[in-house]
Amino acid sequence: MIFLENVHFAYDGLYTALRGVSLQIDEGELIAIVGSNGAGKTTLVKHLNGLLRPDLGRVILDGVDTKHNSVAELAREIGLVMQNPDHQLFLDSVEREVLFGLENLGYSKVEAKERCERTLNNLGLEGLSERSPFTLSGGERKRVALASVLATEPRVLSLDEPTIGQDARQKENLAKMLGELNKKGKAVIVVTHDIEFVIENFPRTVAMADGRIVADGPTNSVLSNNEVLERCSLTRPQLTEAARCLHNVFPEVPERLTLIDDLEAVVVKILGGG
Amino acid sequence: MSFLEVFQYTRQDSVIHKLDPRAKLFMSIVLAVVALMFLAIIPLLIIFCCLVPIIGAAKSLRRWSRSMRGLSILLIFIIIFNTLLSTQPNPFSHSLALTLRLVALMTSFSVFFLTVHPDELSQALIQMRVRFEFAFAMSMAMRYVPTLGQEAYAIMDAQKARGVELDKGNLLKRIRNIVPIIVPLIIVSIRRALSIAESMESRGFGANATRTYMNVLKFRKRDWAVVTVSLLVLVFVVYVRIFVPLPTWMLWQLPI
Amino acid sequence: MPLIEFADFSFKYLGADSLALRKVDLNIEEGEYVVLTGPSGCGKTTLCRAINGLVPQFHRGYIAGNVIVDGKNTREHNVAELAPIAGLVFQQPENQLVTLNVEREIAFGPENLGVERKEIRRRVEELIDMLDLEHLREKHPHEMSGGEQQRVAMAATLALKPKVLVADEPTSNLDPQSAVTILDLIADLNRRDMTVVLVEHRLDLVSKDASRVVLMDKGSIVADGEPREVLSMDLCQEIGVGIPKATQIYKRLKQRGFNLDKVPLTGAELATLVQEVKQR
Repeated sequence: MIFLENVHFAYDGLYTALRGVSLQIDEGELIAIVGSNGAGKTTLVKHLNGLLRPDLGRVILDGVDTKHNSVAELAREIGLVMQNPDHQLFLDSVEREVLFGLENLGYSKVEAKERCERTLNNLGLEGLSERSPFTLSGGERKRVALASVLATEPRVLSLDEPTIGQDARQKENLAKMLGELNKKGKAVIVVTHDIEFVIENFPRTVAMADGRIVADGPTNSVLSNNEVLERCSLTRPQLTEAARCLHNVFPEVPERLTLIDDLEAVVVKILGGG
Repeated sequence: MSFLEVFQYTRQDSVIHKLDPRAKLFMSIVLAVVALMFLAIIPLLIIFCCLVPIIGAAKSLRRWSRSMRGLSILLIFIIIFNTLLSTQPNPFSHSLALTLRLVALMTSFSVFFLTVHPDELSQALIQMRVRFEFAFAMSMAMRYVPTLGQEAYAIMDAQKARGVELDKGNLLKRIRNIVPIIVPLIIVSIRRALSIAESMESRGFGANATRTYMNVLKFRKRDWAVVTVSLLVLVFVVYVRIFVPLPTWMLWQLPI
Repeated sequence: MPLIEFADFSFKYLGADSLALRKVDLNIEEGEYVVLTGPSGCGKTTLCRAINGLVPQFHRGYIAGNVIVDGKNTREHNVAELAPIAGLVFQQPENQLVTLNVEREIAFGPENLGVERKEIRRRVEELIDMLDLEHLREKHPHEMSGGEQQRVAMAATLALKPKVLVADEPTSNLDPQSAVTILDLIADLNRRDMTVVLVEHRLDLVSKDASRVVLMDKGSIVADGEPREVLSMDLCQEIGVGIPKATQIYKRLKQRGFNLDKVPLTGAELATLVQEVKQR
């Protein structure tokens, strides 16, 4: 659906952020983008909706180069939720905040209202619709910012660091919600450092370093690859660490393992098998 | 905005950088005053020729010339306008002299701003009996203005991603479009200010004890030398201006 | 006498609907490494602020009970007086760097307290050396990565020679490897006898070094003890705290009737424990 073709980009023409990135995103995919700070992850997602334009290369949506489309046009198809919710909230009630984006994109009052209600219900924000976003907690503000983008029902939703400042329960809820969106055929892309969140919820992982994609494939294999972890400033997940240690003693344990159910099964086999 | 670079501190290891900011401030003021006392091409060119080596000694010639190039269109504009509108007998020479004076003034002060670290500046102010809170507020402004700029860009991006079209529509619409940028910017800045205050408070800011300073500026021999020379130049030029008429070659004007 | 003593302490922010802290009793002894965790809005940050007097001196509100830090009641002493006892490190490194180079940043605290010039210089050099900041000495905050900024912020706090380091989610904006660097540094400080109170979500990274985990929910302390003991409680999942994966496996194995000798906190520990059971 979206295809980035050999995209190069430098800020002010000086600070190179992307050095030839090619990436294909299909309908209904769940993709995580990982990498150290300054690897170009945020720069990459800003290319999807035209906030940044490639110096070289193309961004193709449904087979058409997007260079002539405005950000507002692309925003109907591709939603982007930025890291800091305070960068977008400015109205005095949660409801108006959500309606604002819908009206910008040209939805009728009736339809906007309906979509707004639906989204607030989905995110558990219905009780807060009259509240001012500024009186809400950080986690709640983050959900309002998400709601304001989600209400426009874009085909692709990209989120920059959605898990920062969220506790385990909130992360679970976020994951559940993204999963439901995905079931409706939407593509979801997150930029994150949170590998546990990636392992549990995203089948595909794109790893970036120095403006390049260094690995792109099934999360399991990307995040159990030592070289990738090293280059992307990631730490080895505990389960992979355990699997590696066990592998040294029990060769039947696969060295690369990321999912808790798999490790549990392996350990039970070792202990139960006697 | 590249011409503003000439007022921006750059880290260099040069004689001028090592001077005490107070000595440099005095020198810059003297240079500016001297430039203000003449409005003829030749004397201003002479002043100019004295300024360039000072910029050179500060190892900032390249940055300075880049800024001047950035400024050149504006300068040409000033010359043309002045020439056309001036009531002086020789309008072109007059406006050329005016422009030269402007450049000399800018250069004089750029010697100061190019070579004085903002922290040093606030320390100099403190030692010139300005209250610490004021001096520190100034250096904090320098510290956080770029952050504010970055924040403004991030907010614009976030709003554009929601379909706000910042550069479309009539004037009224455009003005209305500022609201989704300004409101978050204010809120984010307030939150940031609170968080900065919290951190400063936790490190004893505003404690009752007399504040000490790790680095205290000291006037060395070279600083006294700079001040003395500047003073002599000032006295000499003022004397000449008051009691000696300028020789005619100095009042030379362009033949047009 | 404990270094930090919360005695039946409650606090409500001005204009808030509910208590941020309710009837907190907590004693922290010198040399401890306490990890404070709990779901968002549980009162962790307020507890940190109460240790150096930001609550109630800077953040005003309704207060009951007392907090005594190194013999000083935080109601009666201002934050500056408490600064040499409790040093706070916050979440946003950007907002803690208020000057334009590293040396001045480290000197800022001791300067405020009127420490002698030579002594400030000595502390600055010591910390630059200890936290490996030499290459950053002249740098502007904008020229540093988040991890580097946070290291400088730590140095700036340590320059006050505090008896306890209180860090409120210092790694939540950092990439995992920078986070590990900061957390290793904190663990190292604790080995050098610094008392540490750390608020952290990433229990998989910190619980191995901690001497104690305090669990909070809705303004109260709901569990307090050895990391292995607290993290294996079902309560963690009930209130929404993410426990290390190794500990999760332990609990799952237990349900299936396999008992490991102790609760593992890291992947390597889990592997060793499984091996021990197998060999028996």
